[in-house]
Amino acid sequence: MKYAKVYFEDVKVGDELPPLVKGPIQQIQLTRYAGASGDFNPIHQDDEFAKAAGMGGVFAHGMLSMGFVAQAVTDWAGAGRVRKLGVRFAALVRLKDTVTCRGRVLSTSQKDGLNLVELEIWAENQKAEKVVTGKAIVALIARD
Amino acid sequence: MPTKINTSVVGKEYPPYVVTVERGKIKEFARAIGDLNPLYLDDRVGQASEWGDIIAPPTFATTFRDETADTSVLLRDLGTDISRVLHGEQEFELARPIQPGHTYVCRSRILDIYEKTGKSGPMAFVVRETAITDRHNEIVGTMRHITVVRL
Repeated sequence: MKYAKVYFEDVKVGDELPPLVKGPIQQIQLTRYAGASGDFNPIHQDDEFAKAAGMGGVFAHGMLSMGFVAQAVTDWAGAGRVRKLGVRFAALVRLKDTVTCRGRVLSTSQKDGLNLVELEIWAENQKAEKVVTGKAIVALIARD
Repeated sequence: MPTKINTSVVGKEYPPYVVTVERGKIKEFARAIGDLNPLYLDDRVGQASEWGDIIAPPTFATTFRDETADTSVLLRDLGTDISRVLHGEQEFELARPIQPGHTYVCRSRILDIYEKTGKSGPMAFVVRETAITDRHNEIVGTMRHITVVRL
């Protein structure tokens, strides 16, 4: 299934994306993401700093969780197909958390020669609490 | 006593900045997320694709930064500090994927600031938008970023 091609004609409203499980989150991944993204906010690295800021300890970059959700979308739709991806960071992702990314087809349409699929996307932790919620639009290839 | 932030910065435009995307940076970013899609990592797969080279993951433009328009500048403009802010929302619109070796121009501005009271007290929501254009001044993408400031 991984990197399989999904064709526009085969997509139906209500179809679900294969869940993508990421984590457990480790400090080293947050340090690596800081380096890769350029976001060196100490709140994701320094437990003392995060506690002093009233956050109860370090937590993951929202953008890392968004990267996970984006991966769930591109694993299904194909890399390079995303036209729009918007999320709200609903809850903090902590060290040792497991993040499961999910999605569901909301609608399909054709516009300006593009085969568009609108998705509801979200990610939840191991307690089934939503940590990310949002929507995506992908432009899929047609079967010809 | 809640702190105040400087809301007069609504409408402020930051100086445009230029980013040339490095191939290795795309791969480092994909690997940091743990997304090992060959279209991000394998040059030969990229060359054989419709894009003619590897492409970047959808959220890669978050790496587009400049010291004249980054979060520290925003925080200074707002009169707050990094220990009080959280990332509230983020959106990317992409006309096409970001690719290595390409040069992009980023223009950021503050669209709006509004206040709300949540479970943890009063908060300000700062909405920023960054337009990304290519060297022909065609729009490649737009990022919208909502920073939450705990007041």
